Amino acid sequence: MIVTNTETIAGYEIVQTLGMVQGNTVRAKHAGRDIAASLKNLVGGELKGYTELLTESRRQAVERMLAQAQQLGANAVVNVRFTTSAITSGASELYAYGTAVLVNPLG
Amino acid sequence: MIHFIVFVLVPLVLFGLMIGRTTEKRHLRYLDQQEQERQGFLVTQVKSFADPASDGPPPTLIVAEVVIGSDHLKTFLAGWRALFGGEMKALTRIMERAKREAIVRLVQQSTAAGYNALCNVRVDSVDIGGVNAGRKKPMAACIATGTAYRTRRGA
Repeated sequence: MIVTNTETIAGYEIVQTLGMVQGNTVRAKHAGRDIAASLKNLVGGELKGYTELLTESRRQAVERMLAQAQQLGANAVVNVRFTTSAITSGASELYAYGTAVLVNPLG
Repeated sequence: MIHFIVFVLVPLVLFGLMIGRTTEKRHLRYLDQQEQERQGFLVTQVKSFADPASDGPPPTLIVAEVVIGSDHLKTFLAGWRALFGGEMKALTRIMERAKREAIVRLVQQSTAAGYNALCNVRVDSVDIGGVNAGRKKPMAACIATGTAYRTRRGA
């Protein structure tokens, strides 16, 4: 599956547009991670626990989006967008959406 | 009150002064060096592919996340700044670090996967659990996306 956030894919042509696909997730880290992050806030620097949280959420949302694309019989998803929203403390919602298409290699 | 200032506030601010400053300097040096090293790697934020090569792996989505926390010195300075208004330089800098770091990671992932260009780069801010609403613990969180591809340019 080819996934891009552009409208076209260099070297491929879109032969059929199948429609929008989406996936979302709300995840939190265990309380220990929240405590570690607040300790890190004493001295500054990267809050790795929260970076991981975002990475995991993004992977899960993309997985769900790709599962939908597969069901539609797509071999690529273009124009992928991510949005996030704060829903409750220590958690974030990550929403991934894109357009499922069928592509053929050019030439 | 005086005990709180002497035993809690002052050490916290000193912590920020000593450790936060060095972490920040080291990070900015690292970013400068990474950005120097990627000369020749094309990064654009236009939606189209500039000079795509005809061979190579198909273009692919690359994503990077970064969360950088404030330290107590910065938080304290920002609190003062809020009284008088004006630019909160300490917080401007952590936002800048988060965004530059996210782009550095995009480039590193793309290079590792055998690409030499990125287009349609987008950098968005994230609010993890509304922490930025209560101004207690400022943090700069962002998610950067881009499409990695191979370009003929420079090859």
